[in-house]
Amino acid sequence: MLGFVLRRVAAALPTLLAVLTLVFLIVRVIPGDPALVILGDQATPEAAAALRGRLGLDRPLWTQYFDFVIAGMTGDFGRSMVTGRPIIEDVAAVLPHTLDLTLASMVLGIAIGVPAGIVAALNRNGVVDVAARLLSLLGLSFPVFVSGIFLLLAFSLHWRLFPVIGNADLSDPLDRLHKLVLPAATLGLVMAAYITRVTRSAMLQALGEDYIRTARAKGVPWRRVVWVHGLRNASIPVVTVVGLYVGILIGNSVLTEIVFNRPGLGKIIVGALNQRDYTMLQGLMVIYCFLIVVVNLITDLLYGVLDPRVKA
Amino acid sequence: MAMRFRTALMAGAFALVAGLAQAQSGPTLRVGMAAQDIGRIDPHFAVSTPDRVIVSWMFNGLVRFKPGSIDPAAIEPDLAQSWESSPDGKVWTFRLRPGVRFHGNFGELTADDVVFSLRKAANPQTSASSADFRAFDAIEAIDPLTVRITLRENVPSLLGLVTAYAGGYIVSRRAVEERGADFTRNPIGTGPFALDRVTPNQSAELVAHAAYFRGAPQIGRISYRFIPSDASRDLAFQARELDLNYGRADQAWVNRTRQLPNTVVDVFEPGELTVLNLNTSLPPFNDIRIRQAFAHAINRPEMVRWRGADVSREGQSLVPRGYLGFTAENGLLPFDLAKSRALLAEAGHPNGITIRAIHTQLPEMLSGMQVVQAQLRRAGITLDLQVVEHATFHQQIRQNLSPLVYYSAARFPVADIYLTQFFHGRSIVQTPTAVTNFSHCNNADAQIDAARVSTDPAAQLRLWHEAQRLLVTNVCGVPVIETLLVFARRDTLDYGYELRGSMSLGPLITETTRLR
Repeated sequence: MLGFVLRRVAAALPTLLAVLTLVFLIVRVIPGDPALVILGDQATPEAAAALRGRLGLDRPLWTQYFDFVIAGMTGDFGRSMVTGRPIIEDVAAVLPHTLDLTLASMVLGIAIGVPAGIVAALNRNGVVDVAARLLSLLGLSFPVFVSGIFLLLAFSLHWRLFPVIGNADLSDPLDRLHKLVLPAATLGLVMAAYITRVTRSAMLQALGEDYIRTARAKGVPWRRVVWVHGLRNASIPVVTVVGLYVGILIGNSVLTEIVFNRPGLGKIIVGALNQRDYTMLQGLMVIYCFLIVVVNLITDLLYGVLDPRVKA
Repeated sequence: MAMRFRTALMAGAFALVAGLAQAQSGPTLRVGMAAQDIGRIDPHFAVSTPDRVIVSWMFNGLVRFKPGSIDPAAIEPDLAQSWESSPDGKVWTFRLRPGVRFHGNFGELTADDVVFSLRKAANPQTSASSADFRAFDAIEAIDPLTVRITLRENVPSLLGLVTAYAGGYIVSRRAVEERGADFTRNPIGTGPFALDRVTPNQSAELVAHAAYFRGAPQIGRISYRFIPSDASRDLAFQARELDLNYGRADQAWVNRTRQLPNTVVDVFEPGELTVLNLNTSLPPFNDIRIRQAFAHAINRPEMVRWRGADVSREGQSLVPRGYLGFTAENGLLPFDLAKSRALLAEAGHPNGITIRAIHTQLPEMLSGMQVVQAQLRRAGITLDLQVVEHATFHQQIRQNLSPLVYYSAARFPVADIYLTQFFHGRSIVQTPTAVTNFSHCNNADAQIDAARVSTDPAAQLRLWHEAQRLLVTNVCGVPVIETLLVFARRDTLDYGYELRGSMSLGPLITETTRLR
């Protein structure tokens, strides 16, 4: 197992370096001057040049790149160009919120999506199957900024059950949970829609395999055939989808974060991009890549658990 | 004597503690701001609206606009209790209030802090407003409570430069020196509120400055919450999670918000003037007939109807209304489609003309430009918009890549600043002294320069009026619309003054502000 993990981590390192290089180049290629963002529209070229000098943006590109890679490797990402705050502090402040939302959405998505997919597959073309497919289509069709606003209107404004402003106090678990419900439901339902469809199709495929027929012919109870033989084999595409989706959620839940006023990694990535905050963007990308590598590693490990042939 | 001193000291300490307890036990004001996060809250670097609003609650200047006003004639003492100038207007002496305390344990304000602050504001390394202080020759502390400013040349409003706004804010020298780069996120001023903490991407928390020289604030804390989504901020306001909400300059929004129970909508100055700047150095706008045709095609009343009569008004000159030196008697070309078409034909475009322009995707600016686009189409002018992201827009218009630049701005309410930054030859984009002159006009430089140093107020006004006439007649830009600021508040929030204007672009929260 350890060898498997080490091989995966080693394989991730070149990817990480390639992503760092791309991020470094892209943020410098896109038009927009951080000095102008920081100093405002009345800034003179003299003041802008002075600021670029202080920010180190007037140094040769290769020097900046070298410093960035070294910093990335040592975990010192420096300070935000715009706010002057240490990047690691900003990330540490929002990361728990992002992980809360990602994990809660994932749990909700799996808890609803897997059973719904199984039930739909077992009742192929029946009422339950059609209903599950319709609901999952609905879940996928609703953009989160629409479903989020609907949830806020109903549960925050009408029934006053949840607050509109969702920036929870991290030291208070109840507050954290309370403010997580609506955003997690918004994202979790979309994820459930994906998982329902994938589970249904994977289960239909698994249930049509020869080993299922053999198991039934041997007299294995139907419940055991479905849950042990069918589901275990149908799990691999489900795990793939969940792994991919969790990776997307970590950085791309920005719309949900904005609608529910939650801090989060996605929100600060967008903010840093709008403000041309190079250092912040670079630091965030390194951390984001690291998280994606971790999620992929966990997904790969799960493959190994579900299908021993993968470890070989 | 020593006994009396100890007694006074103890009484002072008691008053301070009592004041602190009283101030901190006051209610919390919850403010919703359209922002992702705070930027730089070193007041000399606070350039965005969210940053300007919060620093105005933490800092003072030598003088200030009367709360609720942006009238330069109503400037009143702030940290300075009196001032005088030499007959030629080049030497100004300010006497400071004694006993003004900085936030925390940064002691009392002295002339040394004022000298340090103004020198910092004048230095491009440490300030975004350094260009405003070009005329400053010397800033000296005469004694611990007296500051003297000597100018190289006259400026239109010295008091404007040292008011509680932009580079005029006074900081604690000791705090800047001790905190270094951290000062920008942990600043120390003398204002009614002190920064408690910033939670990145969430909020900035301020606490009442109990030792504030005008008296302890009645509000105990301010929770300044960053909520970028308009819809979410409005919902939070409706759900009573906010007391004060940054609003939208949109008539439908104002009407809807006014219908909410216990809600007051404040619409106030300064109006942000939108000007269509025409680059006179490049085709097609190097032909004045095309510029005139363009100007005749703009229907300002229609723009006001689109934006809303409560939140906007027609632009009447290349200087916003109400600014010292503004004149509407400037020969502005009226809306006249027939004349527009005739001028286009005369210029060799009887079948119309296509103009390519770079524009931002920022919704409020994009929608405005789309209305302009529709108006121009009626005159046969096709506006081919290249929509780019906002930071890209700002960079590209400064690279002279767009013959037409739609730009909205409010400045210190004296004509000189607007005219200098937008229409003086020294400010032409892509020059070493560039600011925001996108039109490349310099035909009023003599009038703008002469007005700046004039010591005769009547002559100064005459020169500013003449400059506007020259620029408008030359169609360097077409004024379109002035858009006012909008905030919504609960009727339980009483500012303590009538809000008609605010140079910080948000309501001032002062020691008199209270939540009933």
